[in-house]
Amino acid sequence: MELCQSVLDGVALAGEATHIPDVCFQHFITKTIEGVLDKSSRNTIKDDKVFNKLDKSILKEAYSGVLSLLLEAAKFDAETATLSAILEECKFTQDRIDILLQLYQEKKLFIQILLGNIGTSPPHIVDVDWRLDYYIKSNQLEKVNEPVYLISLKTEVPGKTDLEEVQFSCSLEQLQFLLAGDLEQCLLTSFESIGA
Amino acid sequence: MEEVDKIVIHSLNVIGCDLDEDIQSLRQFSTELIVSSAIRCLKVINNEVDLPNSLPSGMSARFRTGTSLASIIQELGYKGEIGYQTFLYSNETEIRKVFMFLIDKLPKDKVETEEEPLGASALLQRTISASVARYLDSPWVPPYLKSKNITWRGKPPVWQKEGALSACKYHSLPCKFSHGMGDLTKKISKEVRSYYSESLPYITNQTIHHCDTAPSVMEDLASELTAQQEWENEWNTIGLPSRLSEQEYRARKRQRIQKRLKDNLRSDVQRSGDLTSSKSAMDLQQMIDAMGNRSSGSAKTKGSRFIHTEQLIYGKDEEKTLSQIQKPDIDKGHTEEELQKEREEDIENIKTEYNNLISKIDNLELESKKLTASMKQMEDQMSTLLQQNQDKEESYKVKKRTLDLLPDAENNITKIQSVVDSSAQRLVTLANQWEKHRAPLIEQYRELKDLNSKKESEAEKKLEEIKAFRSKMKEVADDARQKEELQKQLIAEYERMTKDVNRSAYTKRIMEIVSNIKKQKDGINQVLVDTRSVQKEINMLSGKLDRTFTVTDELIFRDAKKDESVKKAYRNLAALHENFEQLIQTVTQTGTIMREIRELEDQIEHESKSKVLTNLEKITSDYQQMKKENSTMATKFKQQKS
Repeated sequence: MELCQSVLDGVALAGEATHIPDVCFQHFITKTIEGVLDKSSRNTIKDDKVFNKLDKSILKEAYSGVLSLLLEAAKFDAETATLSAILEECKFTQDRIDILLQLYQEKKLFIQILLGNIGTSPPHIVDVDWRLDYYIKSNQLEKVNEPVYLISLKTEVPGKTDLEEVQFSCSLEQLQFLLAGDLEQCLLTSFESIGA
Repeated sequence: MEEVDKIVIHSLNVIGCDLDEDIQSLRQFSTELIVSSAIRCLKVINNEVDLPNSLPSGMSARFRTGTSLASIIQELGYKGEIGYQTFLYSNETEIRKVFMFLIDKLPKDKVETEEEPLGASALLQRTISASVARYLDSPWVPPYLKSKNITWRGKPPVWQKEGALSACKYHSLPCKFSHGMGDLTKKISKEVRSYYSESLPYITNQTIHHCDTAPSVMEDLASELTAQQEWENEWNTIGLPSRLSEQEYRARKRQRIQKRLKDNLRSDVQRSGDLTSSKSAMDLQQMIDAMGNRSSGSAKTKGSRFIHTEQLIYGKDEEKTLSQIQKPDIDKGHTEEELQKEREEDIENIKTEYNNLISKIDNLELESKKLTASMKQMEDQMSTLLQQNQDKEESYKVKKRTLDLLPDAENNITKIQSVVDSSAQRLVTLANQWEKHRAPLIEQYRELKDLNSKKESEAEKKLEEIKAFRSKMKEVADDARQKEELQKQLIAEYERMTKDVNRSAYTKRIMEIVSNIKKQKDGINQVLVDTRSVQKEINMLSGKLDRTFTVTDELIFRDAKKDESVKKAYRNLAALHENFEQLIQTVTQTGTIMREIRELEDQIEHESKSKVLTNLEKITSDYQQMKKENSTMATKFKQQKS
């Protein structure tokens, strides 16, 4: 895990008691983590009365520094030992290191979820509904007597809140291929049946 | 023996025989268990062994399995006695020997590879496979039970992403940080400071969508980090040897880049100028030709006559065809021949016209060239004339002054002489003064030069040193990083290893056993020494006895000749001696008998261990069963025959 100088400067600012007093340090760190995790509290630090007396420009630099550090640490799944070494280099006192590490460990998984959700994926099948129909006869044929499965796959599409549906019907043979994971065969047989 | 059994059982468990936990020694092994675990061992040693995994029920089949097992083990190099009876009618010691041999033969390379420290990639792959396995093992959860698409499983809870509901695209925006507020040496202008404290939004509030915050921050970080590394690299390779300060180097680099930009822009502007000039040629063909000519060099721009005519002919043709297509109904009235004639005429006309034009253009170009050449000549002439004019004016001025001085010639001459004299004197004094000043200045200059060169060489040395230090620093940092990684790996490895407690326990036990053996050896030596000393004593005593007997025998024999009563005593002595001899003999006999008894007892114990009775019963029952099987087979055979 490597950090650039500006981040280290910001973290060092957060560690200085003259800039951010001991009283509000813990509050500051929780606010930082909340700011990136929770959409509704992305800007609550601005109106927070605890930080009223502090120099806003320093607060901003410390805020972005600590945020970058925590994101990077969660990205690399850093151990507490590595993190504490970095903090020691930034001249943190032991109390502050403990506070930060504790909060980091509490929220690490949530930050990782946040990072894990970055990216896109094809629609993801999460559920399935099915129905079995038995064809007795059709308009053209007096006797068909075949089972037909109606499958509806529920998929999650990135960026949409509701489930999407993919519906199709298939014969017993095709269903067997599908369940065996042999999608190619399944499609092949379905094309054949269409061709026939 | 217990230790050996434990080791055997542990290694059997490792290779995949599922033994019950309450089996602690080989004595508890049943025949089936022995056979199945032996077969398992053989299969691990040699994959091609073709034996059933468990003991078959038929007696003859059992016998066959036993014999083939025995032969395979003998092929592997087992030296002791072995046969079907070793497995089917087991004897604890023999079984132990066989299992010890088999476990010794188990392939060990697998264990060795595990002990090597793994690379980072192997560790990564392992974690990937572990998490994939976790995903595969976990049951399906309906989507409405998940918050977004995250499920929490296990203890301590670990999240798992199932689905794509909360995924958001990687979309980063440039972030604005406030910089250098903690550094008091850097001066930040008031405006920037007030911007930082008043208007700059917090970093989590800078992007339009909140989910873009993390990507933006990470990208910003990564880009800054790479820029930093790039700069360091450049500074080390190019910047340091150039012997400029950092700001100077940066400024120079900026200048270089700006210059290149300017050059590029200028050449592009020129090129675009070329393009606009060729814009007058609206025809596509001409346009393409113009572009081709430009790229292939300006030499072709004029073009040969051939190209021009070709262009002209084809161009006209195209126009014609176009007009034909556009107005076919107008041309309908003319016949084909007329058209042809007209066309030819047109072509002739245009050709002549074109030739005229070309010659005209050529002429005009020649003329313009001539004119420009003459213009240049004229300019040159003019400048030379101007020069001459100036010279002449100067000389005229001098002459005029001398002429002015002429009327009062003598006076003026003396005046001039005095002026010349004084100026010569002044020159001399000035030269003297100059000499005076010059000498120390030159000396100073030389000193300074020396100093400068010294300083330069020193600076060079220091530069070299700095370079060396930098490379050393990098090396050390790399080394430290590598070592840290290795340490992490090893720690992970160690954590994985601790499960295998047996190893240390074994070594401990082995050490204990070795010390026990040493103690026992000492005891045996002690006993040997004791027996030797006892034997010595016995020998001494018997020698003493012999000697005293002969002495008393002689004494009494001498007296016996004289005295009758002494004769009796002599006889008694002989009897006594004989009796005692007998006694000693019986004592030694009892000793040997006792020893024999002990040996026999040992043998009995040994025999009883090998379960002779039960085995005998088993054998008889097996024999009976075999007989039965044989008889049924015989009847079957007979039936089939009949």
